[in-house]
Amino acid sequence: MPEYTIMRDATISARKKLGHKTVVVLPVHYPRELFTAMDVHTVELWGPPGPPHGPDAGRIQAYTCAVVRNALAFLASGGADAADAVLFPHTCDSIQGLATLAPDFGGWGKPALRFLHPKGGDGPAARAFVRAELSLLADRLAELTGRPLALPRLAEAIGLHARIDRLRGDLLSRRALLGMGDRDLYRLLRRGEFLVPEDHLAELAVAARGLGEERVQRGVPLMVTGYVPEPMTLLDSLASSGAFVAADDYAAVGRRVPLSFPADGGDPLDTLAAKAFSMPPCPTRGGDQDVRMEHMETLYRRSGSAGLIVHVQKFCEPELFDVPAIRRRFARIGAPLLYLEGELEASLSGQVVTRLEAFVEMVDARRNAP
Amino acid sequence: MIARRVRYEIVSRAIGPTLMAMERWRRRGRGAGGAEAPFGPPLESTRKLKELTTLHYLAGRFADGAVPVAWVTSGFPVEMLRPLGFHTVYPENHGAICSVKRMVPELSEAVEREGYSRDLCGYARADLGSVATGKTPVGRLPRPDLLCCCTNICQTVLYWYRALAVHFRVPLVVIDTPFVYGEAQPHLLAYVAYQLRELTETAERVAGSKVDRDALGETMRLAREGTRLWAECLRAGCARPSPWTGFDSFFHLAPIVAMRGTRECNAYYRMLRDELNDRVARGVGGVADERVRLLWDNLPIWFNLRDLSTVLARNGFNIVCATYTNAWAEAGSMIDPADPEGSAARAYVHVLLNRDLPYKLSIMKRLCREYGATGAIFHSDRSCKPYSIGQIDLMGRLASEEGVKGLLLEADHADPRSWSEAQAYNRLHAFMEMFG
Ligand code: SF4
Ligand code: SF4
Repeated sequence: MPEYTIMRDATISARKKLGHKTVVVLPVHYPRELFTAMDVHTVELWGPPGPPHGPDAGRIQAYTCAVVRNALAFLASGGADAADAVLFPHTCDSIQGLATLAPDFGGWGKPALRFLHPKGGDGPAARAFVRAELSLLADRLAELTGRPLALPRLAEAIGLHARIDRLRGDLLSRRALLGMGDRDLYRLLRRGEFLVPEDHLAELAVAARGLGEERVQRGVPLMVTGYVPEPMTLLDSLASSGAFVAADDYAAVGRRVPLSFPADGGDPLDTLAAKAFSMPPCPTRGGDQDVRMEHMETLYRRSGSAGLIVHVQKFCEPELFDVPAIRRRFARIGAPLLYLEGELEASLSGQVVTRLEAFVEMVDARRNAP
Repeated sequence: MIARRVRYEIVSRAIGPTLMAMERWRRRGRGAGGAEAPFGPPLESTRKLKELTTLHYLAGRFADGAVPVAWVTSGFPVEMLRPLGFHTVYPENHGAICSVKRMVPELSEAVEREGYSRDLCGYARADLGSVATGKTPVGRLPRPDLLCCCTNICQTVLYWYRALAVHFRVPLVVIDTPFVYGEAQPHLLAYVAYQLRELTETAERVAGSKVDRDALGETMRLAREGTRLWAECLRAGCARPSPWTGFDSFFHLAPIVAMRGTRECNAYYRMLRDELNDRVARGVGGVADERVRLLWDNLPIWFNLRDLSTVLARNGFNIVCATYTNAWAEAGSMIDPADPEGSAARAYVHVLLNRDLPYKLSIMKRLCREYGATGAIFHSDRSCKPYSIGQIDLMGRLASEEGVKGLLLEADHADPRSWSEAQAYNRLHAFMEMFG
């Protein structure tokens, strides 16, 4: 069994022993604080990577992304049976389709939760809508756990996750000052997808102690944007080519670290609703494309990156539609760009590894050119 | 501005109609032509449809700078824009025309060079390609002053219109209609209604005038009536033989999509309905020898419509109903002229593509029963994911629960490059053989 599944299974069993419910969560954005406040453990399902677990992937056409096809196969083959419910955030047309296919036509027989988040910009209507969705989700979780949401618990959970987010943000934005290799850093960050928040916080805190004042990463600094860092061997290839990830704009990682944190106090549901609008731009949430490009350029410049890797999932409309704008923007600032399209393969093909190596070499040569 | 406005009015009210009248005169006495085997006689209304479409695109060439121009998605509550005098352009409709004219590969390749993936919606690629190259089969598309996108058909339009907004540097209005599982919850309807009120403010600002609420009420009334008339046209297909083919209905859908809420749209559908009912009374079929009746699911394969319908018709098969055309006959009935925003919110979130699979299955079952369809073709549309996900299960359920035989036909609504003709026709023939 791959590490991805083993780790997740182990945490689900541990929570079960404590009498806590577990909800499997599809990508990308969801109010994790609400689950923490209600003692519901969340385990994210990004695929899983590798070939689909069973025949049900064939119920979705092959021209749909592997994230959704693998998820259906995984759920239908009993891969998530230890969990008590699945949450389908309103990420894209494909997850939206899966959110009715699996619960309504087979593949997932336990409760199906949905979280619809607005696709336009911020505003009173969008905030009111998010708030109402949060209340509805809290009601569904109350049905699952037999306990209603306590607002003071939610306030605590918001505080806990803010600490986690701050540390994650620190580790990413001060990446060059951290001695840890990319593979270890991403393993740590991605453990947040299934660990109990307190445990994740403790691990992050230990890692953050390694942040020094001096730059310790000496490799070629690159920025990555895309969906999810799978296969993780991509990071190994970068490291062996002499590069490191200096800035992260993956939907699964960097785009889930808020840009600002709300002040303490006030109605916790309002605070949580506000958080939805303080996140970095992500095409799965809609929003102005120019604002996203601006954000990416800032990230690139601030991190001192010398090149950009665009690493998207094949058939992923939200990401793919932004690719030309990314190309234009980064061409304008003279940034070298490598485009990679994946399908949640278990490992990188030799061809991709070669392209990565050549790219790093080219960026390095450019960087060192007089 | 005034000179442009005058030119626009002259073209749309005088020159265009005169050209159409001359064309009619030129063809006088020729009728719509006789039956061309394996089809029944062509519909007379088709000529009027061509006139309407031509006039719309002709006027469009002179619209920018004369009247406010909005580019809108097919599921957008366009009624809100009509009282402000917007000329509306439907990039999806334009994409369908590009596909019929086989221009999509060329347009798409132009934007693939910019980095757009070939896996993206064919309409989007055609439109972005047309914007990038200026090429279009309709002469010229007017530049938008406002972009209007409603997510009730898919999220794709959101990504696509974000890109258009950057290109044109004009305001983008997004009406976000969260997906409906079961029935829409009150907070969802309130959210959409609020956005519709905001839309009015933005549209007023762009148009430089205020919405006349009476005119809005009248537009809503016309839209509801237009939906009813379109439903009556479709219902004519319940007759045996059906007076038209499903492929005809795909073309005749254009006014309810692009001219909803106008008198011209309704006048057209009255004419079409009467013609269809007359054919029913006379026993005239869309297919000369209709033997097997089918349901069509998903968008048409625009670039191959004629060939596909000929192969089917030659074997006595007729598409008598389609989830796609039916979608435009359903939700519009919820529109209430007395409550434009509230009722439009309800109507526009309840469109087929914004609803769950059990609902889609119930619609398919109902259509098969009402129209007597014993088979179904599921167009598995490579570049339209929202419509295609779930089809494999829907096909299985329609077969096991209703005894309707199904065929999954992989193609694309716009781009012929992913169409494998030999393979598709082999599968189609094998499917037809199942009916004896
Ligand atoms: S990879 Fe893209 S298309 Fe697939 S589930 Fe994620 S956001 Fe949706
Ligand atoms: S064809 Fe499909 S993906 Fe394209 S705009 Fe229409 S509904 Fe959306």
